[in-house]
Amino acid sequence: MIIETSDLTKMYGKKVGCSEICLSVGEGQIFGFLGPNGAGKSTLVKILVGLLFPTSGTAKILGRPLGDLEARRKTGFLPENFRYQDWLTGEELLSFHASLYGLSAQDKKRRIPAVLEQVGLSGKERQRVGTYSKGMQQRIGLACALLPDPELVFLDEPTSALDPLGRREVRQIILDLRRRGKTVFLNSHLLSEVEMICDQVAIIHKGRIISTGVLEEMLSGAVEVEVQVEAQTPQMLSEFSALSRKMTVDGSRIRLSLNDRKDVGSLAGIVVRNGGRLFSLKAVQGSLEDLFIDLIQEGGGNHHAGHNPTNL
Amino acid sequence: MLAITLLTFKEVIRRRIILITLFLTLVFLVLFGTGVHYGYEEMAGQAGPLEMMLTQQFLALGLYFGSFIVAFLAIMAVVGAISGEIEGGTIYAIVPRPVKRSAIILGKLLGYGFMLCVFAVLFYIAILLIIRFNTGLNVPVKPAALGLFCLQPLILLAVSLFGTTFLSTLANGIAAFMLYAIGVIGGMMEQIGYLASSEVLIQIGIVSSLIMPADAIYRKIVYSLLATPEVSMASMLGPFGSMSEPSAWMLLYTGLYILCFLVLAVRIFSKRDL
Repeated sequence: MIIETSDLTKMYGKKVGCSEICLSVGEGQIFGFLGPNGAGKSTLVKILVGLLFPTSGTAKILGRPLGDLEARRKTGFLPENFRYQDWLTGEELLSFHASLYGLSAQDKKRRIPAVLEQVGLSGKERQRVGTYSKGMQQRIGLACALLPDPELVFLDEPTSALDPLGRREVRQIILDLRRRGKTVFLNSHLLSEVEMICDQVAIIHKGRIISTGVLEEMLSGAVEVEVQVEAQTPQMLSEFSALSRKMTVDGSRIRLSLNDRKDVGSLAGIVVRNGGRLFSLKAVQGSLEDLFIDLIQEGGGNHHAGHNPTNL
Repeated sequence: MLAITLLTFKEVIRRRIILITLFLTLVFLVLFGTGVHYGYEEMAGQAGPLEMMLTQQFLALGLYFGSFIVAFLAIMAVVGAISGEIEGGTIYAIVPRPVKRSAIILGKLLGYGFMLCVFAVLFYIAILLIIRFNTGLNVPVKPAALGLFCLQPLILLAVSLFGTTFLSTLANGIAAFMLYAIGVIGGMMEQIGYLASSEVLIQIGIVSSLIMPADAIYRKIVYSLLATPEVSMASMLGPFGSMSEPSAWMLLYTGLYILCFLVLAVRIFSKRDL
């Protein structure tokens, strides 16, 4: 496992930062870490990169305990509220971080132009970071994180300051990292972005993991169906309700959240049996946003997975 | 650690800390030189046997205010060395790199320490040259005194580096200045205590030099420069002089004082959440 945590807990006095986090992230994956503001996302990332010390629990990064310098040599990190020494040029900043990573002069010569090219900042390296736009600063931060050609990259909101084109480029960089067998831990509130590129996700709420798993499987469990029926009867609605977790009726349109995809076929039978007229029946794949909102609203009661390490 | 030290050098140059300090130091030295020139010219002729004392008073004044300036530079430069980076967010990209937190503290110590020592050496030599050219008093450079002049900002460096690991930049700045002021005022009280034969004032001076030994180091510099086996001119300089030479134990205490603050700085920073 590239990342493995066991009952990782951080308390700020009596306030919970994150509680009993058990995660296992395998090699070569893009792992999305989601949660509402203040849920504990950044706390966990900060613990994993060595900015915070856990109150209890253990974690291993690249098979080594937290804080191990050898593991850090192979780990890249782009902090969320990044700000770099604005009196340095882009090239000097990269050279400084390359020195922190212990890269040799030869490696520096090779890696600095490579990462500048990778993040689209070639030709801008002699400008001072203070003159960079927000987007360029985010790119230089990403370049710093990629300097050692890391096995594992923590990206905390990597596209928050980027325009749509920039976001697409960063997504491409992340996908390219996965293609090369690297592992990416992506902390983002942009659900559509996570949905587009992540293999697995974990959702954290009030400091606890409330759901975790392979994204595709998580989404396939929740099926949204929209049925257009006329001549509805109370019996028909009652039977619909029995099959679904949630049902909303808007005139002839009925929207159902089914518990099981197999129940889609039963809906037509219920309509016909109760003398209704079926105009359309459309199954819609649940989006990550729907799942996320459902889980947060439920408070994670039925989806708690925090105590059981999930091999992803 | 070397990367942090080099970055610290670059920072003091790029952020114009050195430039502004050198400019204002030049202004001070020009004013001091002008003052010594005209003061000596107008007063020395009438001073008679007190001419030597007057000359040495100028030297003591130069070294006293020189110590002030070097101490202020130490505090101002270092006060936000860690806290400023936490407040600005730059530390979040440095600590997760494969570098020990102790190396970050020691790298900054080396960077600022070297800069302060170079500045102190230049300042010390400038004061001696101004005195020599204007009064003809040939004060030998004395490496030991020069070393002590460099030691003063290192005390403030250690204290400020300790404070910056857990206080905000502003709070640390206030604390360091107050501590320095305690040392300075205590040192003056001690000298007045000797003149007035007040044991209480002398004790206040001793306690204050234990709280902040920078002023005691200044007294030792003055004593070592101006005292001769026959007579100690240093004792005749009032609050700027030195009635008795701080002992070697004081130097040992100062060394331990610096070491203690550095160890605490490393320990606190190594364990704190960011």
